[in-house]
Amino acid sequence: MKAASHDLRKLAEKLVQYGRKLGADEMEVTLYDGREFNVDVRLGRIENLVEADSRYCAFRLFKDKKVASASSSDLNLSTLQALVRKALTRASLTHADEFAGLPAPARFKVTEDSLKLYDPEVAGLRPQEKIKMALATERIALEDRRITNSFGASFVSNELRTILVNSSGFSGEYLQTYCSLSLGLQAGQGDHLVEDYWFSSKRHLRDLATPEEVARTAVERTVRQLNPQKVKTQNVPVIFEPTMTSWLLAFLFSCVSGTAVYQQTTFLAGRLGEKIGNDLITVIDDGLLPGRLGSRPFDSEGVPTQRTVVIENGVLRNYLCNTYAARKLNLPATGNGNGRGVVPNNFYLEPGTITPDEIIRSTRKGFLLTRVIGHGLNSVTGDISRGACGLWIEDGQAVYPVSEVTIAGNLGQILQNIELVGNDIQFESPVCGPTIRVGEMTVAGK
Amino acid sequence: MTQRKRAVKTEPNYFHLQPEELKRVLSLALARGGDFADIFLEYRTSLSILMEEDIIKESSENVILGLGLRVIRKDKTGYAYTNDLSEEKLRSVALTASAIASGRAGQKFPFRRLRNLRTEKDVARARLVASSRPLQEKIQLVERAYRSALNYNQSIRKVQVAYGESLQHIKILNSEGVLVEDRRPMVKLVVMALAEKNGRRESGFCGGGGRVGLEYFKRELTPETIGQEAAREACLLLEAVDPPAGEMPVVLSPGHSGVLIHEAVGHLLEADFIRKKTSVLWNKLGKKVGSEQLNIYDDPTRPGFRGSYNFDDEGSRPHKTLLVEKGVVRGFLQDLLSARLMKKEPTGHGRREDFSCWPLPRMANTYIDRGDYDPEEIIRSVRKGFYVSRLSGGQVEDSGQFTFSVTLGYLIEDGRLGRPVRQATLIGTNLDILQKVEMVGSDLEFGWQTGTCSKEGQDVPVADGCPTMKISRMTVGGLR
Repeated sequence: MKAASHDLRKLAEKLVQYGRKLGADEMEVTLYDGREFNVDVRLGRIENLVEADSRYCAFRLFKDKKVASASSSDLNLSTLQALVRKALTRASLTHADEFAGLPAPARFKVTEDSLKLYDPEVAGLRPQEKIKMALATERIALEDRRITNSFGASFVSNELRTILVNSSGFSGEYLQTYCSLSLGLQAGQGDHLVEDYWFSSKRHLRDLATPEEVARTAVERTVRQLNPQKVKTQNVPVIFEPTMTSWLLAFLFSCVSGTAVYQQTTFLAGRLGEKIGNDLITVIDDGLLPGRLGSRPFDSEGVPTQRTVVIENGVLRNYLCNTYAARKLNLPATGNGNGRGVVPNNFYLEPGTITPDEIIRSTRKGFLLTRVIGHGLNSVTGDISRGACGLWIEDGQAVYPVSEVTIAGNLGQILQNIELVGNDIQFESPVCGPTIRVGEMTVAGK
Repeated sequence: MTQRKRAVKTEPNYFHLQPEELKRVLSLALARGGDFADIFLEYRTSLSILMEEDIIKESSENVILGLGLRVIRKDKTGYAYTNDLSEEKLRSVALTASAIASGRAGQKFPFRRLRNLRTEKDVARARLVASSRPLQEKIQLVERAYRSALNYNQSIRKVQVAYGESLQHIKILNSEGVLVEDRRPMVKLVVMALAEKNGRRESGFCGGGGRVGLEYFKRELTPETIGQEAAREACLLLEAVDPPAGEMPVVLSPGHSGVLIHEAVGHLLEADFIRKKTSVLWNKLGKKVGSEQLNIYDDPTRPGFRGSYNFDDEGSRPHKTLLVEKGVVRGFLQDLLSARLMKKEPTGHGRREDFSCWPLPRMANTYIDRGDYDPEEIIRSVRKGFYVSRLSGGQVEDSGQFTFSVTLGYLIEDGRLGRPVRQATLIGTNLDILQKVEMVGSDLEFGWQTGTCSKEGQDVPVADGCPTMKISRMTVGGLR
């Protein structure tokens, strides 16, 4: 992909020059060059096989503090130049915004090598090997008699080169890989079915869980839900498994994003320095963890990524800002830029020392949350209300599965009420955390 | 109008590819023994405008150009896509997609003449096609919506308005000789209003659009109405109480509550889940699964609707499809692959997000048909319960467990709507809830034309609708 990289960087430079020549004060061009492989197998046979490569160009330009952006999957120079001309016209019809503009040029010290973003093994793996892994994963799971149907297993891998050039003199690029192995299963008979899935996703093939590990976990997660009960409506402690802590943290991220803060669409606006959670809560965003899924040398605007303490022992320390939000809030940019928005790098809850087993054993009565369905999250108020499945805990043990209930609470209160933080953080997604126990939430059922 | 239509047919070839070239590529794709192959070409332009903090803050234009090629061999699908439309690249795409087939070689492209299917009556209702109108006109719409929300009353603190439009040109050619070309316009105007009072903040939303032109915002729904509705919802929520928790009678408002049927019935009748027997409804064709009052359709041909199309993304003509009649399952939503494997007729529900995705059976415009009850009577019949006014979305699993998220509800007390209620999730299992549909109203409405449905990572525009309905008991996921 070396030659391609050279040509694409030239194209980006050409477009920046073109925009400047036509009168743009500032211009930023991003080019993506990606390669995708995806195989889905089901019941022992290939169901879908996809291979493709694709390119994509996105740019922003500024004139008189007015901004316009565009993107195209047609990389024909004349198409892109026409988009630049139209963007300049559009910019002239929008309003000036004193906070708009590119970041000041910055030096970044890390490279894709030190971040370990690229694995030649992923790029070089033959399709037959990938298909074999997906088939093996499903086959192992189907050996278990309790599994009655399969949604199939998938192996996905991709390679992506990102090239960023702007008129302030920034020019950088990085190459990254990603691979994942996943499996979805169904168990039960007649109209009484349960389902779940498991996955592993990594940048490096050697870090990926084996077909055995993915299959065993998927089976275990599925069959433990058989013959569920619906519980009475009550307030109880709720234990979040790591995948559940992930969505809670994703919701927290949307509430500490600089964009939401300046737009006042988060209940955490205006609360820097305040104690918003208890001492157990330390939340970090770190774009520099070697080999992790959320790592990258610089963000979409060329701002170097960094380690940012978001919450320190319960105290809100920093919002995560792109250049625009940072200027609006008079705060530093944190390397979280993504187009006009803000994204997490590796956004995680610092693990504690207690094991997940110990958390369950220390719970006299509670609800172990294993899955949610639905989207009831409101960042303006912090309100949470989602459909839930899990296991009922009595005297430190799971006693029966629970389904068709909801959990409800408020993120502000949950942050104060996290009683236990586990040691089992896995980094299977850019936003993650360990098992936690929340003192009390409403579980609504019968 | 007719002139414009004719003009479209002879519009420049966006794809710079002649039918002969595409036929050669399809022949190559079938050379390893595939049963079927098709090409999906897409050229789409879209524009978005954002207003907040009293200024038009940004505009963005997006161009999508690409080709997806599929080869089917029995139940296997090989797929490859590219945005490089050179013949050399297309040949390599054909070889990649055909890798799943390893049967007898040397199949020939089985037809001499292409059947060019034409649009008979365009489902799009776009006289003033948005992409051909000046930017100023759209900025004015955005500003009008913004002002009306901001000026609604003293409590409104912030307003965001997002305008979006797109024009998608498609060309589909398959190995059965079908050639389809179409163009699909779409617009959307959405307002978010934030209200604050005594330190409490709430947000409200409203929007509109569809496969329509800008005249829609004069005739059907004005920017002022959209702005005011968003502001009204935010202000109502300032007075709202926490939702109740537990099982109770639930009354669903007409229109927005169509989300329930999208989740509880629509997804589970998509033919891929049926033939794989993962849907809890896979063996329910001809069986009674719900109340006699339930008649459910999916109709991709409703004029101007967001979920409508002249041809689906496989080139099939869509039909209004009966899914449930008097509570009995009567049909599934079919694409070509599932229809072939199940030996059924396609219903024209094969859809994809864009050229990089293969088609799946999907919903278009799903609704419960009108019933007999007066909506007032339905509310009066509940002594103590929950009224669902607005929803933000839902989700379902193949087992039939589904949820939907209520952004604004009301308590029902002695047959009347009481205080407004904030965010709650409702949860149920479809086979149970469909039996508990006790009353279906006579007031069929459709929700706002802003809906998007996600399945296997693919987003497609949809609409749904229903009359006022009563469910005798359902779990409300509240706090009290």
